[in-house]
Amino acid sequence: MAFAAGVDVGSTQTKCVIVDEGNAIVARALINTGSNVTRAAERAFEQALEAVSMSRADVACVAGTGYGRFKVTFGDLQITEISCHAKGACSVFPGTRTVIDMGGQDAKGIKVQDGEVLDFVMNDKCAAGTGRFLATAAEALNQPLDAIGELSLQARNPVRLSTVCTVFVESDIMAYLAQGKKVPDILGGIHGAIAARTIALVRRVGLEPEITFTGGVSLNIGMVRALEERLGTRVNVCDDSHFMGAIGAAAFALERAMANAVAPVPGVAGAAGAA
Amino acid sequence: MALQLESSFDQIVDRCVESIESLDFAEAKAWKRASEGRALAGCFPVYSPLEIFHAAGALPVGLVGGGNRLEIAHADSRFQSFICSIVKSTLELGMTGKLDDFDGLVFHSICDPARNLASVYQRNFPDTKIEYIHFPQRIGAPDAVDYLAAEYARIALWAGELTGRPPSADDLRASIELYDAIRARIRALYALRSERPHLLSTRELYALVRYGHGVPPDVHLGVLDEALAQVAQRGGKPKDRARVVLIGSFCEQPPLDLIASIESAGCYIVDDDFLLGRRFFTEDVGADCDQPLVRLADAYVRRSVDSSVKHDLGHSKAERLVERARAQRADAVVVLTAKFCEPALFDYALYRKALQEAHLPHVFLEFEEKMWLFDKIKSEIETFVESLLFA
Amino acid sequence: MAVTAEYQGRLHHLQKELMAQYYRELTESSEGHGKKAAYLLIGGNPVELLRAFDILPVYPEVNALQLAVKKQSLGHIQAAEGMGYSTDNCAYVKADIGLYFSGRKTPFATIPEPDLLLCNYVGCNVYLHWFDHLAQYTKRPAFHLDVPFIRTKSGGPTNDDFAYVMRQLRQLIEVCEGITGRRLDEDKLREAVTLSSKTGELWSKIKHLTKRTPSPYDAYFDSVTMMAPLYCLRGTPAGVEFFETAYAEYAAKADAGEGPLAREDVRFVIEGPPPWPYLRQFRDMFSRWNAVAVASTYSTVGGLWEFGFVHDPDKPLESIAEHLLRWNLTNRNFLQRYDQIERYLEEWHADALVIHSVKSCRLFSAGQGDMREYFTKRGVSTLLVESDLEDPRYFSEAQMRNRIDAFFESLAHRKLTHAQA
Repeated sequence: MAFAAGVDVGSTQTKCVIVDEGNAIVARALINTGSNVTRAAERAFEQALEAVSMSRADVACVAGTGYGRFKVTFGDLQITEISCHAKGACSVFPGTRTVIDMGGQDAKGIKVQDGEVLDFVMNDKCAAGTGRFLATAAEALNQPLDAIGELSLQARNPVRLSTVCTVFVESDIMAYLAQGKKVPDILGGIHGAIAARTIALVRRVGLEPEITFTGGVSLNIGMVRALEERLGTRVNVCDDSHFMGAIGAAAFALERAMANAVAPVPGVAGAAGAA
Repeated sequence: MALQLESSFDQIVDRCVESIESLDFAEAKAWKRASEGRALAGCFPVYSPLEIFHAAGALPVGLVGGGNRLEIAHADSRFQSFICSIVKSTLELGMTGKLDDFDGLVFHSICDPARNLASVYQRNFPDTKIEYIHFPQRIGAPDAVDYLAAEYARIALWAGELTGRPPSADDLRASIELYDAIRARIRALYALRSERPHLLSTRELYALVRYGHGVPPDVHLGVLDEALAQVAQRGGKPKDRARVVLIGSFCEQPPLDLIASIESAGCYIVDDDFLLGRRFFTEDVGADCDQPLVRLADAYVRRSVDSSVKHDLGHSKAERLVERARAQRADAVVVLTAKFCEPALFDYALYRKALQEAHLPHVFLEFEEKMWLFDKIKSEIETFVESLLFA
Repeated sequence: MAVTAEYQGRLHHLQKELMAQYYRELTESSEGHGKKAAYLLIGGNPVELLRAFDILPVYPEVNALQLAVKKQSLGHIQAAEGMGYSTDNCAYVKADIGLYFSGRKTPFATIPEPDLLLCNYVGCNVYLHWFDHLAQYTKRPAFHLDVPFIRTKSGGPTNDDFAYVMRQLRQLIEVCEGITGRRLDEDKLREAVTLSSKTGELWSKIKHLTKRTPSPYDAYFDSVTMMAPLYCLRGTPAGVEFFETAYAEYAAKADAGEGPLAREDVRFVIEGPPPWPYLRQFRDMFSRWNAVAVASTYSTVGGLWEFGFVHDPDKPLESIAEHLLRWNLTNRNFLQRYDQIERYLEEWHADALVIHSVKSCRLFSAGQGDMREYFTKRGVSTLLVESDLEDPRYFSEAQMRNRIDAFFESLAHRKLTHAQA
């Protein structure tokens, strides 16, 4: 029985997923990345192994992804998280044509077909549309981050934001509180603004259904509804949505373990054409 | 009696405000439907030779962006984040069908993003007739007028294609006369504003001028005459406010409420360049001429105001700004530019130096057309005005 | 291999030598015992006229990019921002203004004060502001060459446009006569145009070499280093010598089936100026995928010779006017650039389009989102990345790499799966 693993090293969190020959998830782990990226990758891997009492030798192939992918020193492959999110979304929801990924500090739109990335667009220049923005807003409203989604669904009159800049959203929120606006209404407005902005971004690659929502922010029910309302269609989410990068990486690792073909992936020990 | 007149002026302004805040171009479309052979020509800022389109039987409509009520959901992906909003909102207007009734659009060389917008618009709307005017950028050169007159002749042919009726010399003279009359009224309103600013707020003046962007010129002329008649009879006492000249070389327009906020923060804006294209000449163009296109070209080259998009190499616009501020007995200059507006930002570097050397206080602020919360900018102006009082 | 060893590095050394000579002339001029110096801009430059008068062409854009490459642009940019220039103003201008006010000394030359500011307005509106500011700061004579923008359906200038430019060229000649105290020598003009014509022709042949597989050089990263001689030395014998050598070297490589990389896996067309402060790193991001640029739009800002245009020594002024009006990237409209890219994709057999969008240059960048959409819809794999050409603060290595890796990763993956199918 061959196993494969995917390690997704993000700026805030590191995730690891172990899959079996049938690409079914047997173990997962999630930790905060912290300042030592290599260590974080190792710890996440170790934790996942422990969960199913396996050792490293049991895993035939490991793929690293995320910003810290080159720090996954024990990895056999390094693949960008764009490819991994696409792969992961398609393995969980085979009908996926568009992936909307909202992570800790970036947001992406990916157009996929048969698991392949056809096109992608990224917002990696500013925090609007990312977990960072929502965290800032939650703090300004003195609400726990994991409650704001639910709370936003209670909005009666969502406010209109004048900015989607993370730096300035706080002063907007202060102004609204001073005006006596209700917290759910403010949150409703915030979720709506982020959803609209994200949709405008993803529209560059097209919004063909089925649309799968991945990344940490996909666990926010308020954001799911805000997106669905504006898209006019359901979006796919699952409990493992924030593991999607690691799931995709594991799928790639499994393919590599099974196949003989050597794709020209630079940086891979033993691969032809490697630097 | 006095009360009735007062409310009538307010009603005039309200009508103008309603018109300019709508994105439907309702009056322009109604005008087009009312008769055969009419066409709408959308004119992107800053200055377009409106007379040429009018003489061909078209209505030149000023396109000044989407204001703060248009969500830019589609055009955002075509232009980067460091491009001014009006470029995007104009494309958005097209993408949301608001410009479907326009027979043609006119652009010209003001800056690089606007220039590229003309191409991007054409690419996305291949059936829309688009023209582009190259204004001579050697304003001091002796052949600038001839060149522009030839360019105007080319544009006149295009205008004729919109309506099926190329403009004759008589048509052009009639149009020049009409628009000269409008410009004279606007000059009169601005003069009144400068002499007795308590009678007419900048918000009101702006609404009256901008109203002309979306209605036939004879309608605009009528409204301006009405307003002039009413405004001289308004009561009110001058308030103790700072007289400021406000510049920003606007294509993108600040929201009305922003303009009002600036004044309520303690200023009288005694001169501005908000809608420069409609006030582009220092005197009448003059319909009494053999060759109206040459006359129009001459007015552009020799008798027009300064603008960040007009270039006369080596001659200092900044010095003329200082002169203008002094002529207006201004206490200060407010430089209010649209975010990312390159021509304005370049000019500012020179204005800053000249204003500092002339010991004229100034403040530099940026805005976006889609703003609708003005607390921050208002407190910046208030702080600035306080500093003038305590200078 | 014997063939290439002969030329190995010769081009590189020749470039260094010739450009060093050019920069020495700049320094001499700044010290008062050299030639008269005229500042001019790259987009559609009438350098032949200046060479006919033996006036030294000085290109503030070239100075700015050299500063960026040597990682010395930021200080000047910040100095200009301190003077009131905005973070949103073109960083070439800021670097140049900062340089001017700091004494005009660079590691490669002391830039002379201008005897003439020749503002060749060829599409780029920033040029107008730039030289207007320089005119006010330097108080030196300025001449504005107003070249009407290509705005007609036919894609060419109007007759009035052409006549207008011709009149201005004659006025420019008068101005140069005033500055040098000499009448125009028609023979020298003809000679300069002849040499320019030869240079242009060679440049075109060099460009066409990249149609071969493998491409003998990188049409972006190697082209941009050939651009300095193209503008600074065009119209001189040294210019011809350089391009003859370049052609010989690259033709030999092409015949020997050699390219800049061990392997050529991807051929791409690239649009936009390079991130000069990070040229090396940017290049490496593509090399690691064995990706070679076979055509670039940026290498045509000063002139577009690969589609058949050459200067005509029998009609020197007319062909200069044609060059300024039609045969350069900056004076052409945005849709003509789409056509240019399409031609490159097809005739140079490219697999993909890379758009490097730079904050400073809105002439290039404004609307590249639409360009991306256009080509994607036509089935061309297109990547858009962002940074700046001069300001080092806008380059994010991790994010750049991420986008480039994701793009070539998916390209490779698709090639693989299609091969298996």
